[in-house]
Amino acid sequence: MTEPIVQVSPAWAVLTPFLLMLLALTAAGLNGALVARTAGRPLRSGLAAPLGEVARLLRQRRQVTVAADVVLWRIGAAGLVVVAILKILVIPLGPWTLADLDVGVVWFNTMDVMTWALFWLIGWGANSAYALVGGYRFLSLAVSYELPLMFALIAPAVAARSLQVGDVVAAQQDLWFVIWMPVAFVIFCGSVIAFSSWGPFATGAGRDIAGGFLADVSGVDRLLILAGRYAVLTAGAAFAVPVFLGGGGGPLLPEWLWTIVKTFLVLAVFVAIRHRVPTIRPDRFAEVAWIIVLPAALLQVLVVAIIVVGS
Amino acid sequence: MGLTSVLARWASKRVHVLIIEVPGWGASRMLLEAELDRRGWAVALSPADADLLAVCGMPGEELRAACDFVWNQLPGPRARVNVTGSGSLSTLLNEASAHLGDDSAQREDARSRSQNTVAEDSAPDAGEHDGMAPEEMDHGSMDHGMDHGEMDMPMPGGIPLAEGGDDRDGLEMDFLTVPFGPVMPHWPAGLVVDCVLQGDVVVSAQARVLEAVSAPTEVSTEEMTYLVEARLRIIRLCDHASQLLALAGWQTAAQNARRLRDDARWSADIAEHVAPLDRLRRRVERSVLLRWSLKGISLGGISVGRPVGGTDALAEAGAATPADQAGVAIRDRLIGWLHEAAALAATSSDTRSPAAGDLDRAREARDLLGALPALLRGTELGTARLLIAGLGLDTAALAPAHERTHD
Repeated sequence: MTEPIVQVSPAWAVLTPFLLMLLALTAAGLNGALVARTAGRPLRSGLAAPLGEVARLLRQRRQVTVAADVVLWRIGAAGLVVVAILKILVIPLGPWTLADLDVGVVWFNTMDVMTWALFWLIGWGANSAYALVGGYRFLSLAVSYELPLMFALIAPAVAARSLQVGDVVAAQQDLWFVIWMPVAFVIFCGSVIAFSSWGPFATGAGRDIAGGFLADVSGVDRLLILAGRYAVLTAGAAFAVPVFLGGGGGPLLPEWLWTIVKTFLVLAVFVAIRHRVPTIRPDRFAEVAWIIVLPAALLQVLVVAIIVVGS
Repeated sequence: MGLTSVLARWASKRVHVLIIEVPGWGASRMLLEAELDRRGWAVALSPADADLLAVCGMPGEELRAACDFVWNQLPGPRARVNVTGSGSLSTLLNEASAHLGDDSAQREDARSRSQNTVAEDSAPDAGEHDGMAPEEMDHGSMDHGMDHGEMDMPMPGGIPLAEGGDDRDGLEMDFLTVPFGPVMPHWPAGLVVDCVLQGDVVVSAQARVLEAVSAPTEVSTEEMTYLVEARLRIIRLCDHASQLLALAGWQTAAQNARRLRDDARWSADIAEHVAPLDRLRRRVERSVLLRWSLKGISLGGISVGRPVGGTDALAEAGAATPADQAGVAIRDRLIGWLHEAAALAATSSDTRSPAAGDLDRAREARDLLGALPALLRGTELGTARLLIAGLGLDTAALAPAHERTHD
């Protein structure tokens, strides 16, 4: 039932940021509702909370700290949204895609490596101890998650014998990759949460260091960073769909709608995890990441490779 | 004007409040936090994140200076309130919210601020911005407080460069002198820890407490007369647990502890809280991730955990308090708090239990404050925060009117 993925006119690219931000806003609304529920307030008040946040950040003056590295700081703040948009360019929406690059999987990986620089710049630019420590923490986390993430992305590419996202979707017509490479899927999801500095991996913006890299940003800069974090998280959830969850495949609904539904479901799980688990400290995580997670990812790739060669 | 007023209206639904607690005014802070929860307002983690500065209590001279300094760091629109009782809390916040939404007043405020800055910049030798004295308490942008030694070094923005020194691995790394507190989320009221950092590792630390000008007497005491000692103890234990859980990054559990704390203040029958407190304790005990995350973080040889009130009751209930053991793990401390709170709630049917004297509490607080520097030395910042929270330091118990310094 799945047709080959077709590349549509680049003019449609104008719409992608809107779709991305709409999904990100929905995620923020869901987050607000969950927070409201734990505080014993009506869910509806929480759903609207992101709009209130946007309004107050638009009204707030942006502040500059003493001897801040303003240029790098602003690049970091604005970059997250840009990276998220660049990520979703290679993600097919049902049968359509903007750019079916022959190295689509690598493209996504390249973009997520950009977040290393961006979070570090946000932490560096403020010229403040808390922000700097937040930047350090993100980098030490990144050293732990990046290699497992790369291997987790290689597994579907090996199975599809292609780095092209369209081929990866086509290879899942019979069986979704999540079924026979669950380890890679779990590692991928964990890494998305980590590179979005989200939930248990949000130590870079931790409460113990007064918000870390967020400690000194205000006004529109803060809005861009917070929106960018949601956007990067959304893009990560969206990429799980073509790579592990069979793209637009599914009964009844049109393919483009399936892509959005699946993306939202993955995103909802990410958001729900946010406040429910304690922080994973980067120094503790490094050990686990290198001794357990990375070998697990390699084993997964090995198993996939053997199956692919054997079939 | 239509758009700005719409923005102002939306923004007023989600005010971020930076709370500064003065030692001894914990009750005001807790009431404020409960009110913020009810309104759906958020607690700000840093001044840059805040619209409203709420000072809970009557700060002494130095703490007041710190408050003024932080007030300067609020980006604006901004408002400031002083919370000293519960009666007018709602009105106070409504007024602050209205002030935040008042565009012309905020514009006037912004204009006067920028004029101040210009005046300072044009003054000769005005190296530092924001009218900041080098000794003043900073937080949020902690970089200002760096070493003032070498004046012939290049000074970007009027700040001398950090000096290098060998770190714990024998590599050269910059020393950064950073005062922690008195304005920090989940931080003992009025505590200042002057740290020397290398990266995010504490090389050395000095602890002191900024005092209140007066203890809460009028309104809050009236508020508290019906709260007997055991209940106060439960509230304090839940508050400690909530702070520690929040620092461990577990927001839902921290929120849970906070609600139990607030319920304990208002509910008629404290015995109702036994079950929820036990549930929370079991939840904390079950969490594998928390166990792993807090593994190996312990208070060393510091003797902590002497229950202040209701010791006999506790022994009857068979509570395992980690009293006077060597090396109390932070996780055990947390579970011990919740256990003690549940035991107190079960046994005290609001009868006045034998309270430890103020002298005892003051001595314990002084001992803990004295032990702090040795405890923090060589720890990573996140660990240091957990350790400080794990002490359950009661800064209000310290003798008022003068500062104490330990190193």
